[in-house]
Amino acid sequence: MNIIVCVKQTVDLQQVRIRKETREPVLDNIPLTIGNIDKNALEEAVRIRDKVGGKVIAVSAGSEQLTDTIKEALAMGADEAILVISTEFEGADSGAAAAALAQAIKRVEDYGIILLGEGSADNYSGQVGPRLAEILDLPQVTYVSSLEVENGTIKAVRNLDDCFETVEVGVPAVVSVVSEINEPRIPSVTQILKAGKKPKQVFKPEDLGIEITRSITTLSNLAPDQDRKRILFQEGTDKDVASLVSALEAEGLVRR
Amino acid sequence: MEKFDVVIVGAGLAGLSAAYTLARAGVEVVVIERGDYPGAKNVTGGRLYVNPVRQYLPDIWEEAPLERHVTNELLTMMSSENSTTIRFRSEKFNRPPYQSYTVLRGTFDRWLASKAEAEGAMLVTKNLVDDVIKENGRVIGVVAGGEELGADVVIACDGVLSLIAEKAGLRSPGDPRNYAVGLKEVIELPRETLEDRFGLTGDEGVAQLFMGSLTQGCFGGGFLYTNKSSISLGMVVGVKDLMEKKPQVEVPYLLEEFKQRPEIAPLIKGGELVEYSAHVIPEGGMAGLTTLFSDGLLVAGDAAGFSLNMGITVRGMEFAIASGVIAARAVQQARERNDFSAASLACYQQMLEQSFVLQDFKTFRHAPQFLENPRLFSFYPEFADRILEEVFTFGEGPKAKLSDTVRKHLSFGEAWRIARDLWGGLKI
Amino acid sequence: MAAILVFSERDDIAWQLLGKAAELGREMGLGVAAAALGSADPGGYANRGAQKVYISKNEQLKTFEASVYAEALSQVAKQADAAVILIGSTRRGKELAGRLAQKLGAGCISDAGSLEVKDGRLVCTRNALGGATVATQTITTELQVIAVSPGLGEPIESPETAEMVEVELALKPSAVKVIARSEKGQGAVDIEGAEVLVCVGKGFTRQEDLKMAEELAEVLGGLVACTKPLATDEKWLPEDRVIGLSGKSGKPNLAICLGISGQVQFTVGIRDAKTIVAVNQDPNAFIWQMADYGIVGDLYEVVPRLTAALKG
Ligand SMILES: Cc1cc2nc3c(=O)[nH]c(=O)nc-3n(C[C@H](O)[C@H](O)[C@H](O)COP(=O)(O)OP(=O)(O)OC[C@H]3O[C@@H](n4cnc5c(N)ncnc54)[C@H](O)[C@@H]3O)c2cc1C
Ligand SMILES: Cc1cc2nc3c(=O)[nH]c(=O)nc-3n(C[C@H](O)[C@H](O)[C@H](O)COP(=O)(O)OP(=O)(O)OC[C@H]3O[C@@H](n4cnc5c(N)ncnc54)[C@H](O)[C@@H]3O)c2cc1C
Ligand SMILES: Nc1ncnc2c1ncn2[C@@H]1O[C@H](COP(=O)(O)O)[C@@H](O)[C@H]1O
Repeated sequence: MNIIVCVKQTVDLQQVRIRKETREPVLDNIPLTIGNIDKNALEEAVRIRDKVGGKVIAVSAGSEQLTDTIKEALAMGADEAILVISTEFEGADSGAAAAALAQAIKRVEDYGIILLGEGSADNYSGQVGPRLAEILDLPQVTYVSSLEVENGTIKAVRNLDDCFETVEVGVPAVVSVVSEINEPRIPSVTQILKAGKKPKQVFKPEDLGIEITRSITTLSNLAPDQDRKRILFQEGTDKDVASLVSALEAEGLVRR
Repeated sequence: MEKFDVVIVGAGLAGLSAAYTLARAGVEVVVIERGDYPGAKNVTGGRLYVNPVRQYLPDIWEEAPLERHVTNELLTMMSSENSTTIRFRSEKFNRPPYQSYTVLRGTFDRWLASKAEAEGAMLVTKNLVDDVIKENGRVIGVVAGGEELGADVVIACDGVLSLIAEKAGLRSPGDPRNYAVGLKEVIELPRETLEDRFGLTGDEGVAQLFMGSLTQGCFGGGFLYTNKSSISLGMVVGVKDLMEKKPQVEVPYLLEEFKQRPEIAPLIKGGELVEYSAHVIPEGGMAGLTTLFSDGLLVAGDAAGFSLNMGITVRGMEFAIASGVIAARAVQQARERNDFSAASLACYQQMLEQSFVLQDFKTFRHAPQFLENPRLFSFYPEFADRILEEVFTFGEGPKAKLSDTVRKHLSFGEAWRIARDLWGGLKI
Repeated sequence: MAAILVFSERDDIAWQLLGKAAELGREMGLGVAAAALGSADPGGYANRGAQKVYISKNEQLKTFEASVYAEALSQVAKQADAAVILIGSTRRGKELAGRLAQKLGAGCISDAGSLEVKDGRLVCTRNALGGATVATQTITTELQVIAVSPGLGEPIESPETAEMVEVELALKPSAVKVIARSEKGQGAVDIEGAEVLVCVGKGFTRQEDLKMAEELAEVLGGLVACTKPLATDEKWLPEDRVIGLSGKSGKPNLAICLGISGQVQFTVGIRDAKTIVAVNQDPNAFIWQMADYGIVGDLYEVVPRLTAALKG
């Protein structure tokens, strides 16, 4: 049984800057990486493989640079990668990603579990997993905070808004995880070096018979106006604390 | 222990140039970089002279992400209230092949890395090399992220204060005289605003250097380069002068003062600070170079001390590129002999001597002493500014002759010292 | 008449959405319908602004499972001639929205933080880039599925009583078996409504030390909230205290952030605070960008001083 994990390439959000004048995010030339929660999904995939065997196959849809970005996933323990590459994926909606991922996954024989993150780092829509499950006509278990796979049965604890739910489902199934499920490993130098040599299959959308359509139009994408005073007291001494308290008092925020 | 043909420490210009060259020749090469990505932590003023290095990295300059070619050279001498600017513009500089460009390392280094990787070099980022592995006195690998990596040759391209050269015993922790500290800001402006402010058309650019009161008498100066839609603005100050200066000043304070100057403030007005960095610069000239090779090890770029203070500017990028490529060539020769001993790797030094790298270092070997002259950073700018101030000032009474003006500001002793300084300058 | 169809597995959220749907329906010339599937109180939907309330006795709807509910809602949507489907954006709701949208070939926006009609189209806003930006988006497919953040819309009392429509649904049992459920049993703290929030982060090294924050909150008459790692990794506080992208959003007059680095996924949850105060020992922490007042220092020294100063 092979394990599929869907990982998404996104700009490194830590590096995104907001242009003060226009409040637009500056996305040009920002290094790309794999989403944080996707790394949790990958880590879980590797753990399951180490227990039950098979291969971990990382599947991803994204722009040209993906052939490079995916090395991060291969270094973290994926055995192979299947990539669907098109510039059209930039800013594409969850439906397009799910369609591409589904067709790529259909090329894999004998997969038991398809792992995803609860949400992607940049879009965080939480839709790709359920959409993928619908396309592939599979059951799905979302927001999983602990997972066990044994004899073709998946046992998972889901972390929902108001409860924890323990569920069971047979393979194959789509499972999305939350960040607290594990601590993703940091790959070692040798693992990084080996990553470049692991097998990669690369497809264009037309190779898989898919057309990338858009069902959402983004009218604007701006940082909210944050006009903070940014008054900093450097010392933390009694004097600084007193200054802070009187500033808050003056604003009527304390000791009313 | 995993073994490779070559391990390069540091993905700056030296390391990437070496990696690109080796990978192209089919050599198995690994580059280890501590930063998140190449160029992330690399600081440069921002001007690259392409002519000296064009042939070292053949075929790739066409697509290089360079910012603007410099057509306007400005030199500004500042005193506390005055400033004198010499502006040189040449149409010759506005015709390809352009001789010098402004660059932003974040973009340029990542691009060069992608070129090296496309040729087969393996790049590992986010990993610090913390030691070299030695066997019978020769370097046989490095330790990175707790793992040992073996190599026939290690090339130390880890920049100024090279840990690798130090661990290998090629360099001892430095004398402050041999270092300067550089601060740099990148200030973003809309492209049109920038072109209007500097009077630029298309991809033309400005390089402006500043000396005088901005460094408060310390060795050093300021620089301003125009990029496509940003300005690189910074300052370089000698560490020794800074340490000895009474009362103490901090470089960030000097830079802040510099930015407030009426000569600068309007140029950066409304701009957004997008990058701030500080870095040490090797400035020892010839005397500041490390031993360049030993058994199983080569040192290139800033790690070797290949950075030259040309007055107010620093030249290091060309040396980094060239020495990286030459190190790669030396490795190729050593591979043919299958001998990675110091004797075999000595061809590195010979090739450097034949190249512009060590020749320029010889030509400018007196530069550090000449530049140490504090008069250069205080007296001369003041002098020029004072004379011009008189020339341009019209008071109530009759105006003095220029020769009187000069004489007023120049005693015999001063004139003698100027002659001596000039003599020193002629030697560089 | 084409309609806006509303569903949430939680009645209170469904009723909020009905309030919003009634308003949107008037502007867009659409009817309003609710799918009270699996609700223990379908009658409660009668005077909430819907003209029709769809109910079903199908056994498969006894427990909520997204694929079954997606199938059920797709059948209801057809009967109701739905043009827009609004779903409460809880975790279950988001899962359902994605699956339903795929089934219906619809575009879908989740976590919509606002919803209004502009030039005849529904325009939503949602957080993007981890919360660094707010994207304004529209759906271009004919049928639209929107998962709306809880709290958007007010329940209304309508004089008009909805028609109860019982529907026959063809549903297959779910492949997912629920074995156990444990309620989080979270206290009834109202982070979203609090006037003062004392937010704690990983700058605290031991659970006991949170007492300092509680004391400060007490003096200020506020509540203690936290960053995600304190709840999910350390489990020092229940998850309903988490502020941020995957937690709650507050609108306090005063938010005090103690030992919090200030990454966008957190700050998105307090950016509507009127005044933000931060204590952090790192002079370069991101949180300073967001703070009105800040003290650079060790929270272990500053917080007791602050509490004492406020008491005195
Ligand atoms: C303010 C300033 C202005 C300058 N202006 C100019 C100019 O206008 N023109 C010009 O030509 N030159 C200029 N220079 C000099 C020029 O920037 C340097 O000479 C050049 O960057 C040297 O390149 P390098 O590859 O040798 O070193 P670097 O660019 O410093 O690269 C060294 C790399 O090694 C990595 N590294 C270090 N230690 C380790 C380790 N232990 N393990 C793994 N990785 C490690 C570092 O992260 C870095 O990426 C300027 C320098 C400064 C500071
Ligand atoms: C998709 C996604 C969703 C997320 N959703 C959320 C969310 O909803 N809410 C959320 O909070 N996070 C969320 N996160 C996580 C978020 O990215 C950060 O990891 C988290 O907010 C960091 O929490 P922190 O500030 O407590 O910890 P850290 O980032 O570790 O910061 C601790 C801070 O404490 C300071 N400090 C340490 N000791 C002291 C001391 N003695 N005195 C003073 N200061 C001290 C340090 O300088 C540091 O700045 C999400 C992440 C992802 C990827
Ligand atoms: N383009 C993509 N390629 C691969 N996986 C993706 C892609 N987009 C989303 N995913 C996966 O789907 C999860 C949820 O994404 P989203 O629906 O965008 O929040 C992510 O955590 C990834 O695991």
